[in-house]
Amino acid sequence: MKTNPVYRREIMVSARSFRLALILMVFNGILALVALLNMYSTLAQVRLTAEVQYTSFLDLYLFVAGLEFVMLIGVMPAITAGSISGERERQTLEILMATRLTSAQIVCGKLTAALSTMALLIASSFPILAMMFVYGGVTARDICLLLLCYVAAAWLAGSLGIFCSSICRRTTTSTVTAYAVMGVMVLGTYGVNQFAYYMSGMRAAGYLAAAPQSSGGFLYLMLMNPASTFLLMISRLTGREQVSANVAGWFGNHGGGVIFSHWILFSIIIQVLLALLLVAGAVRVLERRRT
Amino acid sequence: MLKIRNLQKTYGNYHALNGLDMDIREGTLFGFVGPNGAGKTTTIKIMTGLLRPDGGTVEIDGTDVLKHPGSLKDRIGYVPDYFGVYDNLKVSEYMEFFAACCGLEGLVARRRCHTLLEQVGLDSKIDSYVDSLSRGMKQRLGLARALIHDPSLLIMDEPTIGLDPRTRLEFRETVKELNEQGRTILISSHLLSDLSQLCSDIGIIEGGKMILTGTMEEITDRIHTSKPVVITIQENMPAALKLLKEHPLVRSISVKENDILVEFSGTGREESMLLTGLVEAGVMVRGFVREPGSLESVFMQLTSHEEERVVLSYEDESGL
Repeated sequence: MKTNPVYRREIMVSARSFRLALILMVFNGILALVALLNMYSTLAQVRLTAEVQYTSFLDLYLFVAGLEFVMLIGVMPAITAGSISGERERQTLEILMATRLTSAQIVCGKLTAALSTMALLIASSFPILAMMFVYGGVTARDICLLLLCYVAAAWLAGSLGIFCSSICRRTTTSTVTAYAVMGVMVLGTYGVNQFAYYMSGMRAAGYLAAAPQSSGGFLYLMLMNPASTFLLMISRLTGREQVSANVAGWFGNHGGGVIFSHWILFSIIIQVLLALLLVAGAVRVLERRRT
Repeated sequence: MLKIRNLQKTYGNYHALNGLDMDIREGTLFGFVGPNGAGKTTTIKIMTGLLRPDGGTVEIDGTDVLKHPGSLKDRIGYVPDYFGVYDNLKVSEYMEFFAACCGLEGLVARRRCHTLLEQVGLDSKIDSYVDSLSRGMKQRLGLARALIHDPSLLIMDEPTIGLDPRTRLEFRETVKELNEQGRTILISSHLLSDLSQLCSDIGIIEGGKMILTGTMEEITDRIHTSKPVVITIQENMPAALKLLKEHPLVRSISVKENDILVEFSGTGREESMLLTGLVEAGVMVRGFVREPGSLESVFMQLTSHEEERVVLSYEDESGL
């Protein structure tokens, strides 16, 4: 099977660049520092009290996984936001499009290369995450579920970056747009639900004190929020709270239902669908340049 | 080889191409000339599959390539008016990347890249980084890249723009060599002197239409006949004027002291016969010369003011 030439070139250039080595060092350096400091404090406590606080290892796992997630959705748009606009700025896009490569091959090559870079970041941090296995508490299955969540979020963030890159002429504009949209997806959906929840509370206080307070249908917007999915998954992995309980805690009581019982699954499916739509949109934008 | 018929392209209310017709014969080096905004780049972008026309056909070797874009990309190599190079790539890697984009892989691709780099004189730079090359070298690399899939038609959009005279000359020589090897080439350029020395055929585009096209010989003839013959008479002016007025190839006459300016639509041989006729009619001729014309002057006449277009209508009348 022939490898996508765009993917191969991107990987070669990225592997050769000093930037990737620097990102890997800083990313893993921060994770390792946090993990080792946490471990040191836990062991120091053992020496003092002769008591092992296993929950602190779980906290460490949550912290490392959370930090990794934030860096993931923070870095991914930056990597992909310049993919198409960068080609345009280098004046190589038309040359590429004059070859036998299709617009879909160009977009997919760019996206898979960015996802590979992210996969490298995640894989390189596994030894640090594996430190949690020393004292137990986190299973391999948990790690796999976490990985699934990472992949969906990275795919969404990467596709968003590529879409913005295809519609914006300049990389700077594309990057700003990608972060703005990601901000709306993460903070915006949360804000809308908070507002709806607050308004619902106001109504209840004014007219019907006994009425249940919730953000209503706006809650389903949270399905496209990768951060909330990650938080819910982490909560479930640690066995601390159920999904519906979490949601109820955030935006009131919404009752139950199929979506609530499989919230993470539905959310991941929606994120993947959104990512596919964005990729298709980027391909379409490139194709429309010909007309 | 290439046949374009009634090509149309509109951007909003602006008609970039207005029924363009163009023919390029196999093995020719075709110069595509026109002022800014004439529709050169739009035509080239349609020919390379980067833009879709609103109407018309583009045929290469009898295949309608607008209906078969894959076939278009296989048959056309494109050198744009910019370099389009990647940083952090060596010359060999750059070439192999584009070889892969055209479906060539492995040893075949490497051999092809090496051959082409040798052909454009960049074989010594194979391990250099692309961004370290000079402008001239980048342009030659672009040429090698466009030839990677062995296209039957090579299209170059203003390829010598921004190059110094020496590099331009070297680039021209490379293009000439490629043409001598039997490759059909289309060059769009504003440097008409370059084209007149290089091309075998010329097409002049204006307002989205081809207004003049033909071989260099045909165009040179037109240039030649569009210029007046200046005849300096020593003696017997009335006899000279009588003969000229009766001559079927003389379009107009104007007299200034001893000089007669004659718009004469005949060939070189017919010019000689006119001179013989004058001498035989007892006219003493001191000078007989046709003003030299150039491709630039024709280009300026065809693409500028109305009064200068008189020459064009005169050419049309002459049936050339």
